[in-house]
Amino acid sequence: MSLDAKRMIIAILGAVFLLSLVFVQFMEVAKKREEAGITTPRHAVPANSETCVECHAQSNPGIVDHWRGSTHAEKGVGCVECHRADRKDVDGYEHFGWHIATIVTPRDCSRCHVEEAFEFSNSHHSKAGNILASLDNFLAEEVEGMRGMFSPHSPTPGKPLRQVNGGASAYSGCKQCHGTLVALQSTDGGMITVEELEPDSEGQPTNLDAVAKVLRDDNGKPLFHPSTWPNTGIGRLNLDGSRGSCSACHSRHDFSPRRARRPENCGKCHLGPDHPQKEIYEESKHGAAYRDLKEHMNLDASDWVLGVDYSQAPTCATCHMSGHSRNGGKVTHDPGERISWTNRPPVSLVMDTDINHKIVTETDPEKRRALIHDTADEKRNRMKEVCSHCHTPDYINAFYYQYDDLILLFNEKFAKPGLKIIAALREADIITPTQFDEEIEWTWFFLWHHEGRRARHGASMMAPDYTHWHGMFEVADRFYMGLIPQARELAHEAGARGHAATRVIEEILARPEHEWFEGGAEEFTRRVQEGMKARYGKTGTSAD
Amino acid sequence: MRFITSWLQDRIPISEHQLREMSNEPVPNHMKRWWFALGGTPAYLFIVQIVTGILLAFYYKASPATAYESVRYITEDAAFGWYIRGIHKWGATLMIAAVILHQMRVFFTGAYRKPRELNWMIGMLILVCTLLCGFTGYSLVYEQLSYWGATVAGNITDSVPVVGPFMKAMLLGGAEYNDRTLSRFFILHAAVFPVVIVLVLGLHITMIRLQGVTEFRFKDEEGEETKHFNFFPDHLMTELIIGLLLMIVLSALATIIPATMGPRANPLITPEVIKPEWFLYVTFRWLKLMSRTAAILSMGFIVFLMFVWPFIDAFIRRRKPKSEVSIWVGIGAVLGIIGLTIWEASVEH
Repeated sequence: MSLDAKRMIIAILGAVFLLSLVFVQFMEVAKKREEAGITTPRHAVPANSETCVECHAQSNPGIVDHWRGSTHAEKGVGCVECHRADRKDVDGYEHFGWHIATIVTPRDCSRCHVEEAFEFSNSHHSKAGNILASLDNFLAEEVEGMRGMFSPHSPTPGKPLRQVNGGASAYSGCKQCHGTLVALQSTDGGMITVEELEPDSEGQPTNLDAVAKVLRDDNGKPLFHPSTWPNTGIGRLNLDGSRGSCSACHSRHDFSPRRARRPENCGKCHLGPDHPQKEIYEESKHGAAYRDLKEHMNLDASDWVLGVDYSQAPTCATCHMSGHSRNGGKVTHDPGERISWTNRPPVSLVMDTDINHKIVTETDPEKRRALIHDTADEKRNRMKEVCSHCHTPDYINAFYYQYDDLILLFNEKFAKPGLKIIAALREADIITPTQFDEEIEWTWFFLWHHEGRRARHGASMMAPDYTHWHGMFEVADRFYMGLIPQARELAHEAGARGHAATRVIEEILARPEHEWFEGGAEEFTRRVQEGMKARYGKTGTSAD
Repeated sequence: MRFITSWLQDRIPISEHQLREMSNEPVPNHMKRWWFALGGTPAYLFIVQIVTGILLAFYYKASPATAYESVRYITEDAAFGWYIRGIHKWGATLMIAAVILHQMRVFFTGAYRKPRELNWMIGMLILVCTLLCGFTGYSLVYEQLSYWGATVAGNITDSVPVVGPFMKAMLLGGAEYNDRTLSRFFILHAAVFPVVIVLVLGLHITMIRLQGVTEFRFKDEEGEETKHFNFFPDHLMTELIIGLLLMIVLSALATIIPATMGPRANPLITPEVIKPEWFLYVTFRWLKLMSRTAAILSMGFIVFLMFVWPFIDAFIRRRKPKSEVSIWVGIGAVLGIIGLTIWEASVEH
């Protein structure tokens, strides 16, 4: 090859190399712009969603930006894929050439996420809407508010006269976690819910009279009742008969897996005085490790398998839902699959469940065995597989020994006796069938619903302060200084009607575990004082 | 200009004529064939590694607590960090491949024979240092592969009879992988091995200049006198073309297949499958074929044979002057290396 030819090749290659550096510079600038939020990651907008994106980028740019950064956008899943509705769907309407529905239900998500939707439908999460017929709901809709509307009793300056919605506490409180009974407005001023629509197995209404009464705007769009929508409660009762809301955990429209894996996400609902799971987690060493190491936990990993992608600390999702190295990375959308006690009711129940995922309460051993489809032990073993990534079998078994003991202590010493005393009072007509109209009912509710759950949840997730000071200590205080004196007084005031209840109370207090209360505990007190003296040179009380 | 030339000549006693003679070493005509001009490729890639390595070292923090985060910072946050890291990673891969290919070319053309036996051994030393540089390099990222690769290396070293435990302690800075291990690997990767390579490469090139390049004649050149051409500018341009091509290839690889990061090292979780970088597949597979001590001793013996092969070959050729044993041994070795590498590569991660 001649020298001139070589010079020519060098010139061409030099130019190509310089061009490659220009390309590198272009990539760097694009990357920095994206990091700075000047541009969002660009994914091709699916053809059927181009109009939606174009218009909503102006009217609701946040929605479009969230979607652009999502895995859905990356995989070409646009607006229409999720929002499209069938012609027979009660909430469907024409929208710029597409027949769509506003609410995307688990049934819609199941068009692609079949297994996830099925697991979720079996979960207690999906049944959270059952609160609609519960004590808690009575509390919100009657005690805190009122069933229906009532008139204000004096004007509110600056706010025109308007009816007071008695269900406001339930709609803005309970149902934002538990889910609403989604309702469309009716032409007669009422509500149309799944109960009126009677959807078939495809989720389409069979009661066409109810469909005909749906109130629509000028464009034919059905109008939701504003008390029931917006709502992302996890047990939402949807118009198509499906239960739940995937966006309760997978916030729309970015559907971030990272967020669903973080404990803060669950903290929207699992916190507070009655079930402070988030605070309990934060107090535990698990929570402390998470706060310290979350940057190293690969929260953005596509699968996020414990023991493969991370092992620094568990989050709520790790223990209750996520895949791990011992189950082949299988995620479950039914958190109950790994829970062996339910600490929700006044008396904790063993999570032996039947074919329909309901807890078996049958006491006859033979019948019970026949009904059980998935035992609490099997559920516990699934949880133990998670634990075993960081703990030895001896350690895990000893933990469960301690946990079981605490639950049994609460059940036997306080919960079952409390239930028995309340039942005796109600049976003798000393308290009315109406809940929360007597002080003792509030006392009992605080005991099991707030303090009792705090103790039990605290033990379940290794938070000693919640188990003791926020838990059992307050349970004991509520029992001995609240429930017992109030029950005795009610029984005494009832005269002859109260004898049976008094016998129940006295029988309970005569049990060995309660004997100290009236029989005294002088020997134990003496030992404590001697111990204090030996250690500190003086006797004292807990107030010292 | 004349003033500057005169000023320099007064202080550097080399005349323009001497300089021209030094740089214009006559190059044998066979070097006009491209595949004979690849000896400079590893040296060129080595310079790329030095430059990109210095840039990376500005940001890298060699301790278990900071290493992974600093590499993440380089890859995701630092300006052009992803590109420099990509060039460094692919530069290492190409350099190792180039050294191996150059070594194979020298072997199959018999260019290691008298009087170039020592230069072959120097070349072998460069190969070993390059492989060690590659190994210590990927250990610095502190991902699972890095940590467990280093742990396996420590265990292999431990298996060397008599001195193994001492060598392992020297390598890891203790009985096991600990806080001091990464800084040792960093010093080895960024100082010790590069300095050794620079010195040995200098010696390698000096030997080439002293002995001249082995002259080959192809069938179409039989009977003719050996022809030569000038190093400057003719051969230098050839090298420049190769260099530019390499830069384009590196740039393309760094942007199309950028350097990524695996999960952060976790001493508590042993991955189900540990795999080193591709250039150590052969060693890894060999280790799985027999007991660790047998594998270490046999590998040591094979490397020793590779070092002294020019003398073994000379011994054979003294007895059978027309012997082609070297070629068959070489083919066998290459097939063995490729076979073991593919075998290991086929194991699923």
